[in-house]
Amino acid sequence: MTPKRPSDENVDAWLDEALGELGRTPVGAPSDDLMSRVLGDAMSEMPAPGGPAPLRSALRQILQGLGGWPALGGLAAAAATGFIVGLGALGTSADAMAWPFGYDALYQDQSGLDAFGWDFEEG
Amino acid sequence: MDMPLDMDAQTEDAVLLARFARGDASAARTLTLRLVPRAFAQAMRLLGDQAAAEDVAQEAMLRLWRVAPEWRDGEAKVTTWLYRVVANLCMDRLRKRPKAPAALDDVADPADPAPSAEAQLQTQARNDAVRRALADLPERQRLAVVLRHFEGASNPQIAEQLGISTEAVESLTARGKRALAKALKGQVAALGYEG
Repeated sequence: MTPKRPSDENVDAWLDEALGELGRTPVGAPSDDLMSRVLGDAMSEMPAPGGPAPLRSALRQILQGLGGWPALGGLAAAAATGFIVGLGALGTSADAMAWPFGYDALYQDQSGLDAFGWDFEEG
Repeated sequence: MDMPLDMDAQTEDAVLLARFARGDASAARTLTLRLVPRAFAQAMRLLGDQAAAEDVAQEAMLRLWRVAPEWRDGEAKVTTWLYRVVANLCMDRLRKRPKAPAALDDVADPADPAPSAEAQLQTQARNDAVRRALADLPERQRLAVVLRHFEGASNPQIAEQLGISTEAVESLTARGKRALAKALKGQVAALGYEG
């Protein structure tokens, strides 16, 4: 017997039935051949043991680019040491403190290119 | 093929995928056991063709293996990602299929009191028509409809899978079904309805 065409009123129920029937279609288990093929693909695509772990965030990528937390710690310690050494050098060297105030211009005006600074420094 | 049972039943898919990306073969076996039956079942329902469904499941898993090293933990569930890939691969195939009616020879002889060959043909035609109409839906509408009717997922579950609100799921499902009804209305003859 040919079923009746779904009307506009019951089309929703008809669709539910059609989709439900499709969803209930027995599908069985995947074949052993498929499982073997998938596993074969996995083995051929698998990175070497110990390969890189998946990245989690942009910050982590940057951190890994720098060499990780130990490298970042070393970088911070080196920067702090350099800053302290720089401060100490400024405090103990009058010459070094003078350069930022234009002493270099005087040095070049009074000495020729070939003077090597000896005439100026030796008087 | 003999494979061990899922020894990592409590381990999340994303963790296993990360282990695979570091060269752990046992993680690949576990993921294969866990995900291939789901991918295959989904493809079978959408395509109704064993060989095509197996090809789709294999292709989807191949894409998963390839994306594993770049997988970002927390961005998406592995099952959701796979579900989308399988759905899209199936829809690509459905769109390319010729729209030939099912032939009587394609229907296996029924054993009594199973439905007649004519009834089976009609069911097959209806299923094919519904599959094609699904293929023409926008992706999110299609996923919402398929998750609801094929997987029996609730609105909150679909919302979680698609990363949208429950209200948006209701809207997507309603629009999807309206579009399906419109697409199928013109095919009453092919579907075997009278009147």
